[in-house]
Amino acid sequence: MTNYILRRLAQAIPQLFIISIILFVLMQAFGDPIATLGGRVPPRPEDKERLRRQLGLDQPVYKQYFTWLVGNDWQKIDMDGDGVPETYGKRHGVLRGDWGNSLVTRQPVLRMIGERLPNTLLLMVTAEIVIIIVSLALGLYSALRPYSTFDNLVTGLSFVGYSMPVFWLALMLMYIFAVNFRRWGLPYLPTVGMYDPQVGKTPWELIKHMVLPVTTLAVISIAGYSRFVRSSVLEVLSQDYIRTARAKGLRAMFVVLRHALPNAALPFITLIGLDIPFLLAGAVVTERIFAWPGTGRLFIDHTERADFPMLMGILMLISIAVVVFQLITDVVYSFVDPRIRLE
Amino acid sequence: MKRNLYILLSFLVLASMLLTACGGSNVPATEAPAATEAPAATQAPTEAPAATEAPTQAAAPKGTVTITFVQEPDNLNPMYTSMYFSQITRELWLKGLWNFDENAKPVPVLAKEIPTVENGGLSADGKTITIKLRDDITWSDGEPVTADDFVFTYNMIMSDKNTPQGRYPYDEYVASVEAKDPTTLVVNFKDPFAAWLTSIFYWVLPKHILQPVFDTDGSLDNAEWNRNPTVGVGPFVLSEWETGSHLAFTANPNWIDPPKIEQVFIRIVPDDAAQEAAIIAGDTDIGVFLSSDQIQKLEAGGNVKVVPVASGYDEAWFLNVNPKTASPAMLDLNVRKAIALATDRFTIVKNLLVEDINPVNVTYWDNSPPYQTDSLTPYPYDPEQAKQLLDTAGWKDSDGDGIRDKVIDGKKVDLKLRYITNDRELRKNVQAVVQQQWSLVGIGADLVNYSSDVYWNGYNDGGPQAQGLYDIAEYSSVQSAFPDPDASSGWTCDQIASADKPDGANWQGYCNPAIDDLMKQQATTLDPTARRDLYNQIEQILYDDYVYIGMWKDPDLWSINSRVKNVKLSGVFPFWNVTQWEVSE
Amino acid sequence: MAAITPETLSTDVIAKPSAPLSPLVLGIRRFRRHRMAMIGLGLLILLMLYISFGGLFARGYCTPIDKNLSGEPWSDCNDLSLKLKPPSASHIFGTDVVGRDIFARTIYGGQISLMIGVSAAIVEVVLGALVGALAAYYGGWVDSILMRFTEAMLTIPNLFLLIIGARFFGGGLPDFKLFGRELTGSVVVIILIIGATSWMYLARIVRANVLSLRERDYVSAARALGASDSRLILTHLLPNTTAPLIVSATLGVANAILAEAYVSFLGLGVQGSTATWGNMLDGAYRYLDTAPWLWFFPGTLILLTVLGINFVGDGLRDALDPYSTRHL
Repeated sequence: MTNYILRRLAQAIPQLFIISIILFVLMQAFGDPIATLGGRVPPRPEDKERLRRQLGLDQPVYKQYFTWLVGNDWQKIDMDGDGVPETYGKRHGVLRGDWGNSLVTRQPVLRMIGERLPNTLLLMVTAEIVIIIVSLALGLYSALRPYSTFDNLVTGLSFVGYSMPVFWLALMLMYIFAVNFRRWGLPYLPTVGMYDPQVGKTPWELIKHMVLPVTTLAVISIAGYSRFVRSSVLEVLSQDYIRTARAKGLRAMFVVLRHALPNAALPFITLIGLDIPFLLAGAVVTERIFAWPGTGRLFIDHTERADFPMLMGILMLISIAVVVFQLITDVVYSFVDPRIRLE
Repeated sequence: MKRNLYILLSFLVLASMLLTACGGSNVPATEAPAATEAPAATQAPTEAPAATEAPTQAAAPKGTVTITFVQEPDNLNPMYTSMYFSQITRELWLKGLWNFDENAKPVPVLAKEIPTVENGGLSADGKTITIKLRDDITWSDGEPVTADDFVFTYNMIMSDKNTPQGRYPYDEYVASVEAKDPTTLVVNFKDPFAAWLTSIFYWVLPKHILQPVFDTDGSLDNAEWNRNPTVGVGPFVLSEWETGSHLAFTANPNWIDPPKIEQVFIRIVPDDAAQEAAIIAGDTDIGVFLSSDQIQKLEAGGNVKVVPVASGYDEAWFLNVNPKTASPAMLDLNVRKAIALATDRFTIVKNLLVEDINPVNVTYWDNSPPYQTDSLTPYPYDPEQAKQLLDTAGWKDSDGDGIRDKVIDGKKVDLKLRYITNDRELRKNVQAVVQQQWSLVGIGADLVNYSSDVYWNGYNDGGPQAQGLYDIAEYSSVQSAFPDPDASSGWTCDQIASADKPDGANWQGYCNPAIDDLMKQQATTLDPTARRDLYNQIEQILYDDYVYIGMWKDPDLWSINSRVKNVKLSGVFPFWNVTQWEVSE
Repeated sequence: MAAITPETLSTDVIAKPSAPLSPLVLGIRRFRRHRMAMIGLGLLILLMLYISFGGLFARGYCTPIDKNLSGEPWSDCNDLSLKLKPPSASHIFGTDVVGRDIFARTIYGGQISLMIGVSAAIVEVVLGALVGALAAYYGGWVDSILMRFTEAMLTIPNLFLLIIGARFFGGGLPDFKLFGRELTGSVVVIILIIGATSWMYLARIVRANVLSLRERDYVSAARALGASDSRLILTHLLPNTTAPLIVSATLGVANAILAEAYVSFLGLGVQGSTATWGNMLDGAYRYLDTAPWLWFFPGTLILLTVLGINFVGDGLRDALDPYSTRHL
């Protein structure tokens, strides 16, 4: 087991390197961050040139990548434009823990991501829990009463939920529950933000503000997963060991919960496990529409400013999470399913 | 198994809730001025602090004014950001020599008076400016503000260890800055510099705080103070900044002109729709960058007033006349004139904007009334004359497809103009309307939208404007040192963007020796009347050349809730009179 | 009784056993029994009729240019005095921000959206099948590289890839004419970037299928007879993976239509004044409560189309999958 984990990690490292190179190269297709640094007033040519030199953006791509990776504090760079390098660089490189500063805010990338990450996690983990519970419940109930009205209704609604553009759903929810409820005098949900600053960051505020975004995120996944669970449970229910258990006289509900569901849930675990790292990308659209201050919004805000260090930071974070979670999923799967042996 | 999964997941949720509650908030250790208690940031302060020490004010400050921003300031140190929202926030807590009021007239703040020739501030040759500072102003921690702080600021901007946003005007125009004595600041220019009033020292850095930081870190780039300025010089002090959510500033009663309100609360909202909702609901008192189609809805409730504030922006068409990149049609004056006459900007303004607020403008300098040429009026809408001009220019619809064409170098070329802009919705709508208008005179349109970061790219990054890949480019712009009119870099021959000069700012490729000459003269002419004459000449030449077609005046639209009184917004520094604002509950 | 001899035993006495039903016929039968799939099919047929012939009903008088227009030119007619009007007799779906008829725009926008959907799905299937088949067939380091590349593409967030794609191609492709409509180069850009960001899932499925087929006897036989690699892949292996390919392609169209809406919402969609369902939604965001007809109609049309495709895809999956034990 440990060997397996170590081997997987060893394989992951070159993979992450390659991903980082691909990302860095792709990122050159973005605009020039200096051009947008000026805000409303485009920066002067002299300033543009100077900033480009000072921030190391005039270097060829491979050199920039190298600096990002290992830093340049052992090298002299030309800060004053005379063509002669005289000041030591200040970057330590990713491998030593320095992910650089955002070109936009000049703040350390890790710190900025760290400020937003808990918000995204809160939203995503809650959404994921809701997804798991509701999918399992709906899928299970549908499977137990196949082709009944309930089943058909759930299947139908799943299809509908599955077919909606996510932002359309978000807008509809906002329209009904926030705008119109308020108009009709009903207790309404807030539209934006994580909490009302005048009231403070109380749990109740957080919950109130989480309802709409979590619902938006959950509906589409539940639509997909519940059908998956349903077919998985149906398949398990037709297995011999279930029939044996029933023949032994065990109560139906017990059989379902103790034998059928766990076995049906196995492939489900893989799906969830692979989903989680993408949560970190933070369902960008939802965060944007509901103004949730998370990493997704951070990503989109900085994309428009071509902020390489920040974007690389977020993307690498996601990639690392994907690799780690794939590994965790496989390991958990092997614990959970005694038939699997990892070597 | 499943149970363990649930336990694990509940743990994760709890953990993230804890993390969220603890992390993220950026509560600086405020150097609260002596006796007053700065109210806790999370409670909505409705009562004034008990007894104030500052004897100069009549009533204790009360009330909070909420302002919504649609973008979060990236950095509060003005050295490192040109972002609009960072700049206007600065007005609350970090002042400079002078302010500009709602009529763009200078008002001294840290300076005792505006230097002129009469009071000896301006030397006879125009190269030396002597500024007398007030001696009764202190930083929010009690340290006096002296000329040394200004010299320090200059040194920091010019230091090669720092990467400031811009060094204008210090790198090119200033020879030296010195502190003759603690209250006398002397700025020496290399040549008389006409734009001095609007460009020097409108903010200052605290030497006693930042010098040690610079000495230890070797640079101010990563200073804590940039995101968390503990010390400032202004009517307010930053008390809290929760990223993604809000910034809170509390009153500084030791300021020479103590504010009448207790707190300014800046709320970050994701976009216009959210801001609109907040304004209508009364959740915010002041909003900015509204669009004209929102006015009716916002004012419907009765307690919100939408105020246009001229900040120098005009929306216009910039025509590509670069002999190397422009299409032959654009190089023909008759065609350019026809384009101006074939576009009914008046109807556009009437229907897509608000005519009173966004009238059609004439020249680039409409936004600076002292330099405007009143005799010039907007190009009229005259499709018949446009058709005649195109006929004269040789463009006729020979193949009946509705678009005129001409044989150039043996090939049939359609009069299809590449009309580019960024992807703002209003501009896309204007494009569609213009396309239809042009079809009436036989001009075709190729409508292209770029995302902003590509649209503004320089020559080496494939910027469509810089590389001349367009016929007409639309955008809204202003001079960098507004209200100073100087915008020479956009119109002079040596600034044409090319492979040799990739950072050139003249993206239209316009080259006219007369203009070059006039631009050079106005940069060193300090006498306002003489300068005005030069600009009248410049404007007349450009008007007759049809290279700039004015679309509309683009003032910023602010909304003010009637709850807040005495708000006078300046186009240069919006919050210049924040100390006069009052809240009525 | 006549003696039963080989001569008397004629073939028409004994009932001829009917020829085994071809998989196609079997598939169609199963499909027809799938109720939801039939509903989906009906829905799609209605929508196709809508966007193909709805244009006959789109006509009106365009005041600013003083002409009676019908069809596509009518959908481009912008009359600022009629902006943002709710549904009425002359404009049954209302008008948009510059006064264009929404009914007409949903028809012509639908044509583009569906075209984008189908084309992107084709791109996706071709890329995915190629990568998957090559990886599985050659195995070894080819397989490793292709699969690592696929995984890398899967790891990188979709949004990022979309934006990169839009930047990379953006603005450079020329306009072209298709079925009498003038389309901007950005349509091709969108097709390419949607296709390029969704082929990964299919590649995996195809690879898995081809891997299992690779070792079958008929493949070895063909190879022994000297069939070239490409012949083997194209005529023996890929055709036997048709079932998942068809299902993927169908669902790919649905996915591409949703992706087009998403991309337009981000502002990277089709440029110019050409309508698509996606870019009609983009501008509508700000008029959530003041002009709900702006987003209601295109949104509902997207929903119905994607729903129909999903139903049909589900039916196809059941119909074509020989191992399915359901719905028999």
